[in-house]
Amino acid sequence: MTVTMEKPKSGMSDGVYEREELLNGCQAVAQGVCLADVDVIAAYPIRPYTEVMDALSKLIADGAFDAEYIIADSEHSQFEIVKHASSVNARAFGGSSGTGWMYGMEALTVTATDRLPPMFVVGNRALDDPGAFGVEHNDAMAVRDLGWLLCWVTTPQEALEHVLIGYRVAEDKNVRMPMALAIDGAFLTHSQHIVKIPSVAAAKKFLPQYDLAERRLHPDNPISVAPQANEDWVMEIRRQNWEAAKRARGVIKEAYKEFNAIFGERYAQPYFDEYMTDDAETVLIGVGTVAAPGRTAVKRLREKGHKVGYVNLRWFRPFPTEELRACLSRFKSVGVVDRDFAHGSPDNCGILMHEIRSCLYPAKNRPAIVNFIGGLGGRDLSIADAQKMFDITAQAAKKDSMDGYITWIGLRE
Amino acid sequence: MIKRVEVQYRGIFQKNLAKKIGSDIVMIASSMGQRAFSNGRYSDAPERNGIPCKYFAFVSPDLSEEELEAECGAKLEIDEANVSVVLDDTMCKGVEPWGWHGVRPINERVVKDGCLVVITKRPHEELLQFIGKKPYNYRLATLDGEASLAGLWVNKDDLTYEHVLGAIAAVEPTIISIEAVEAYLMKKTKDKKRAEAARAAYNSLRQEAKPPRVKTVTPNEGIVWTHEIPVLPKWFEMQEGAVVPAVPRGFQMGPKGQSRNTGFKRGTTKTQRPAVRFDLCTKCTLCWAECPDECFDPTTDGYYDIEYQYCVGCGKCAEVCPVKECIVMVDELQFHDNNSPWEDWKKDPKTYITSLEAKKGTERVNYPVVTGKGVIVTKGEVMPEGKIVPVRKTEEVEV
Ligand code: SF4
Ligand code: SF4
Repeated sequence: MTVTMEKPKSGMSDGVYEREELLNGCQAVAQGVCLADVDVIAAYPIRPYTEVMDALSKLIADGAFDAEYIIADSEHSQFEIVKHASSVNARAFGGSSGTGWMYGMEALTVTATDRLPPMFVVGNRALDDPGAFGVEHNDAMAVRDLGWLLCWVTTPQEALEHVLIGYRVAEDKNVRMPMALAIDGAFLTHSQHIVKIPSVAAAKKFLPQYDLAERRLHPDNPISVAPQANEDWVMEIRRQNWEAAKRARGVIKEAYKEFNAIFGERYAQPYFDEYMTDDAETVLIGVGTVAAPGRTAVKRLREKGHKVGYVNLRWFRPFPTEELRACLSRFKSVGVVDRDFAHGSPDNCGILMHEIRSCLYPAKNRPAIVNFIGGLGGRDLSIADAQKMFDITAQAAKKDSMDGYITWIGLRE
Repeated sequence: MIKRVEVQYRGIFQKNLAKKIGSDIVMIASSMGQRAFSNGRYSDAPERNGIPCKYFAFVSPDLSEEELEAECGAKLEIDEANVSVVLDDTMCKGVEPWGWHGVRPINERVVKDGCLVVITKRPHEELLQFIGKKPYNYRLATLDGEASLAGLWVNKDDLTYEHVLGAIAAVEPTIISIEAVEAYLMKKTKDKKRAEAARAAYNSLRQEAKPPRVKTVTPNEGIVWTHEIPVLPKWFEMQEGAVVPAVPRGFQMGPKGQSRNTGFKRGTTKTQRPAVRFDLCTKCTLCWAECPDECFDPTTDGYYDIEYQYCVGCGKCAEVCPVKECIVMVDELQFHDNNSPWEDWKKDPKTYITSLEAKKGTERVNYPVVTGKGVIVTKGEVMPEGKIVPVRKTEEVEV
């Protein structure tokens, strides 16, 4: 299966797309928010997310978009505003990066337990200290166990489209979970590509009205949200959240099916993309923009006859356990690329590695698996780096020992 | 095949201009059926006033967009530039946006037979007194014009943007052709004068143009670049906990007497430097007290010497100096060294004053930075030695 940065196939003539614009990832998200006809936006600046709020305020100032735009005094207030707006049945949007995301963490936890479906964009940024603007995934990963939907995209086009897809999934009555859309700082947030912008009609057709129904906070619908509940209640509430995460898997699948039906066959697989994996023996798997050097390396290694492939994991929460287990057990060896770290964890691997290793444990045919930590703080991961990772991964199939189990790529050592 | 364009610009004052150029190269190249994308050097942000920054555009007739992104995506530095545009000729002295890369030559990324396009009023030979040597031939194009410096985050609509697009079409038509540039500008603005401006710049850089503005620079032209790239420590050689060792403490009277951070000199930020007439100085201390970069070194005889390597050219000292013509901001390319001006003056006051006045010329150029459309020029005068005339300075903000 071949999925890369290709543009949508359907065109302006059939009314699905309206125009083309040169947009970076941030501006593309803003266009998505506009098309999703979001009601309430709360904003507080931090690089690289800032350009999302800039672009949105410009759209509003230019009269191209009508929404409540509230500048908060901090991320914590920003996220609270978004959560509250969502609870009164307003489609709500926020976002942040790095330490800003962490600063609002309390609000992020309750948004999940209150089972509200706003969307947040996370322009991935290294966590301080040292102050750095570059990408690292630990910020978004911090919500991975809290009941969030969490998804990475790789291009401005996908970023725009996943604002629509994200709301579609999050607001589904079988889900109602907050959605974090992660976009790599710099590599996606500030890389400008020509983007096809869907028409309002097509976006409307895909994304239904937000309806919180019986959980809508309104004088006509007297309910109380977020009570003190303690030991008699918490277990059951957690169990419900688990169920929603389980149901979300099915809803995601449906959402892509509907999306493809309207916008042309944009996404061959819902949870992850496979590139040249059909007869592959060695694959790399990663999230975010590392897909570009990863897939380019595959293309070049294939020309030399190497049986390699790349898996781009899009949905991290809910984790596509069954599908990924089936996918990865087809290969001899798997290299997991982490643009994050989990210091002190088993084998000192990255977060993605732990998830995938755990996912593969029950598999009958477990591939050899190795881990790469790279691109931290915005250091680039080049095509050459990806080729090196393929090489190490292929070697892993031939040995029993753990050496070479984890490699830091591009480190000064 | 990939063609890379690098736009070197002065942070904040030219940011929008550079981004507009980079963005529209993508649109124009794409109208020619090529794949393209653009980005800025991410680490350049947040920018400071005047600091050298870079914006990029990448074009390929045959690669997929993803492959192009994989080859060129947001790196700190691009690997090479087929065309490097310099929006302000004072950057020919070198650029140092980040301390840990040192002062780098303006043409560092230009490939063999590639082209460095400088917006300037100066001849090639004068620029080459500042530009580093390359081991191969490349082209130096002088695009006639002044640096388009606008206020904070403002883009001055003075046709520089159109000129640059025309210039790129002239020196590397496979990136964008002049026909595609004209068609794009007409479609976007419906304003003939913009397409004509691009065409005029294009014509001025063609081989047959008189005077010839594109010169092939050979390996023996230019200067020997003395700044080296700092070697960064390995992970186990660094202090833990993101600790940065302080600059050694210490202070001595006299030139370069303060202990400063040798790792980041910031001097390439300036387009103008403060020229001091020590004979007019009343030793009032204001320049020393107000300089935000602490460039002034007190001397034993009560004057204030300047360490130019650390001066960002903000103009604050000239603004606060209470004596007429005592500190004046002067075009940076008038100067070939960073010597101590106080020492030069002490050695030979007469020669110092004559040579300084020659560099100052008759115009006083001021860039209002907070708002404003760019530049204010007033008439200067040559003060006789020792003639102290007090001035009261008010700043007029042009909106
Ligand atoms: S222009 Fe004057 S005040 Fe500004 S940095 Fe230079 S010496 Fe200091
Ligand atoms: S501000 Fe002018 S007069 Fe005062 S010490 Fe500096 S150079 Fe001399």
